[in-house]
Amino acid sequence: MNQDLAGEHQSGAMQVVMIGLGEEKFALDAGLVREIIDPVPETKVAGARAFVPSVINVRGNVIPLADLRIRFGMPQLDNSADTRIVVIELELDGEPVLVGVTADKVYEVTEISQTDVQQTPRVGMHWKPEFIRFIAKWREEFVIVPNMERILN
Amino acid sequence: MSAMDPTEVFRQEASELFEVLEGALLDLGQRPDDRELVDSAFRALHTIKGSGAMFGFDKVASFTHEFETAFDRVRKGEIKPTQELISVALAAKDYIRALIEDPQSTDDIIGEAILDDLKRFVSADMPAAPVVEIAEASPPSPAESRRAGWHLYLEFESHILRNGSNPLDLLEDLCKLGPCFVVPVTDGVPFLDEMEPEDCYLKWDVKLHAACDKDAIDDVFMFVQDEMKLTLSPLEHVEAPAPAPLLQLLDEEPVIAEVAAPVVEVVAGQPVARAEPQSDAKPEIKREAAAARREEAKQERGIATVRVQAERLDELMDRVGELVIAQARLTQLAASGSDLSIKMIAEEIERLASSLRDTTMGARMVPIGSLFGRFRRLVHDLSRDLSKPVEFVTSGEDTELDKTMIECLADPLVHLIRNAIDHGIEDTATRAANGKTEQGRIELAAVHSGAQVLVTVKDNGGGLNTARIRAKAEEQGLIVAGAVLTDHEIHQFLFHPGFSTAQTISALSGRGVGMDVVKRTIENMRGSIDLSTRPGQGTIVTLRLPLTLAIIEGLLIRVGEGRYIIPLPAVEECVELTAEDERSRGRNFLNVRGNLVPFLRLRELMAASGAPDRHQKTIIISTGETRVGLVADQIIGNHQTVIKSLSKLHSDVTIFSGATILGDGTAALILDVAQLVSLAQSKVEKQHINEAA
Repeated sequence: MNQDLAGEHQSGAMQVVMIGLGEEKFALDAGLVREIIDPVPETKVAGARAFVPSVINVRGNVIPLADLRIRFGMPQLDNSADTRIVVIELELDGEPVLVGVTADKVYEVTEISQTDVQQTPRVGMHWKPEFIRFIAKWREEFVIVPNMERILN
Repeated sequence: MSAMDPTEVFRQEASELFEVLEGALLDLGQRPDDRELVDSAFRALHTIKGSGAMFGFDKVASFTHEFETAFDRVRKGEIKPTQELISVALAAKDYIRALIEDPQSTDDIIGEAILDDLKRFVSADMPAAPVVEIAEASPPSPAESRRAGWHLYLEFESHILRNGSNPLDLLEDLCKLGPCFVVPVTDGVPFLDEMEPEDCYLKWDVKLHAACDKDAIDDVFMFVQDEMKLTLSPLEHVEAPAPAPLLQLLDEEPVIAEVAAPVVEVVAGQPVARAEPQSDAKPEIKREAAAARREEAKQERGIATVRVQAERLDELMDRVGELVIAQARLTQLAASGSDLSIKMIAEEIERLASSLRDTTMGARMVPIGSLFGRFRRLVHDLSRDLSKPVEFVTSGEDTELDKTMIECLADPLVHLIRNAIDHGIEDTATRAANGKTEQGRIELAAVHSGAQVLVTVKDNGGGLNTARIRAKAEEQGLIVAGAVLTDHEIHQFLFHPGFSTAQTISALSGRGVGMDVVKRTIENMRGSIDLSTRPGQGTIVTLRLPLTLAIIEGLLIRVGEGRYIIPLPAVEECVELTAEDERSRGRNFLNVRGNLVPFLRLRELMAASGAPDRHQKTIIISTGETRVGLVADQIIGNHQTVIKSLSKLHSDVTIFSGATILGDGTAALILDVAQLVSLAQSKVEKQHINEAA
């Protein structure tokens, strides 16, 4: 599956997992996503940085749970029936790391093409431009493709 | 294992042989008269040569051959192994090792230079060696043996065939030396029903009519020397040579048991009383003896070791970890129900899982001696390069540690030992001036202490120069001039990256890279490092390491909503926090049977929400001498803790050393005892400063 994605990526299209955080929609590169699970009990880690406040057990591995809403200065919502955890695999300092990301809602796996890509930054954005790879248009809405490595480092 | 690359097998075997060889050479430096050592070095060398040739390492074989030839005079006792000679021999060993492990990196010229050195030492000593010594080392003078020949009596151990050695091949090799008269001795052959088909029962009586010396015969049996008894005596007078080499008979009959009979017949004319089966012996006794022998053989097999890839052990450990977690869930489930039979099964499985865990961890444990052995070479080389005579003493080689930890320990210990010799031990003149023995002393020791292993590097050198460390720290802006610091705090600067007090930078140390790496490596293993020093008397560096990296016994506690694990070995006792202690809020000291123990409120530390329990519990933990109390809401109980490391994203959190998974599937964090203790201590110190101010 990863190979297919890479191929498509090169041809200009990019497969993404569309998630909702608060009012905004984010598109996570599907190549990073390992699985999407229902919320599990979190274990708070005292003294950790605010955007990785806890750890969770995913299939016997203890992995950090990141909250992008904190990174983007959005209000935190209580878990709802739509809340999911998206488990992604990232390279941090050259080592693969599994990270869970809380999503208020997971919409679908879809494709965005290069032609939909919009230039960043735009006026009026209240988040740091380095956290954003680019902004794309999807069904008449703007979606953010976040730079996960930057956000989590 | 069958799929393993034979070359890889050879490399592994060779690396073990190198250890033997190096050990023997270094020991030889201490005890030059020990013939055993010379022999064991020579055997290792010979095996490397033989296997090298077998696996196509021709360069290795030819170089080793040269090495062997040069070293031969040492073996014959003609020259004494001097320090210089041993140094060259070690260099030669390194060269062979390089030839095997990384042939591209080597150069023939280096090899030739080493051989030249070796030959020079060997021949330079020639006149110095008294002739008497030759006679002493090999009783029959070579000249005599040349005329007469040899009488050999060969007795192999019964399992020799199973190791793949074939006595017949050896006999054939022997025949190449000259005409042989071989008589098998069959008195060890049991009755057919008592016979182990894979055992060798035959012995051989050989008369070798050849003008060869003893070494040529020894060479034939070099590979099996440990598994046989070879009685060698020169022939008194030349007997009439055997009419036809009997070995031709052996050649035609491949099975030994069958060979035995016809050969006995052929030699019946000769006086071979030994070949007569002792039929008068009571058969019952014989059978008993055979049974005992078989029992013995079985035991021998039991001790045998199996080579397992480390990867597989790691996998096994992972599976056991998962099993322990599943078992914890089962136990929890059983405890909440009322079904007695399920409870019994849960207990049974708990017992099995914990013994499986212990066995698996035991399989990963290796004695630290394998590591210590490597440093003898290091000390030897450093002491020569720096011209500081150093005695290297190790103790506690049997202490067992997790294999992965032993590997991780190698580099830090190299640093520490280098430091000890380069900076710690003074030069000979200074030592003499201070009334110390000329020879410095480095002690490397390992010892169990609770659930920790302490590895200490101790030197009897000059000790740390606290004033100079302080000056350097001020110079580098790490502290303000005149700050009040304990010696202990000042010594911690040694672990600061890029910190070095050495006035000159040598090839060995002084660049300030090292101690910080040592500290980081040790802390990555969840260990800690201690320095203690006495001016003029030396320095002791103590590494405290956990026994294992995988599974520990833990104490499960609750603080607010969260549950945490405290490594059980660190727990001394649990006491209830009394109302009196509770009142002394500002002081944060606990009165434990008259001793004041500082305590930390975990609720504050973990920012716990919800109301605290009415009766707060204190868990007294300790590292070494220091004791600290941790106040929690509830003590839940023992927990088999499978350690999972925290990810990079939480590497900034220091009070947790890892995480684990509880019976209900939630993650729980493991408290880092060492960090909590130092946290409590710094609080105490701050308090003192506040009180003083």
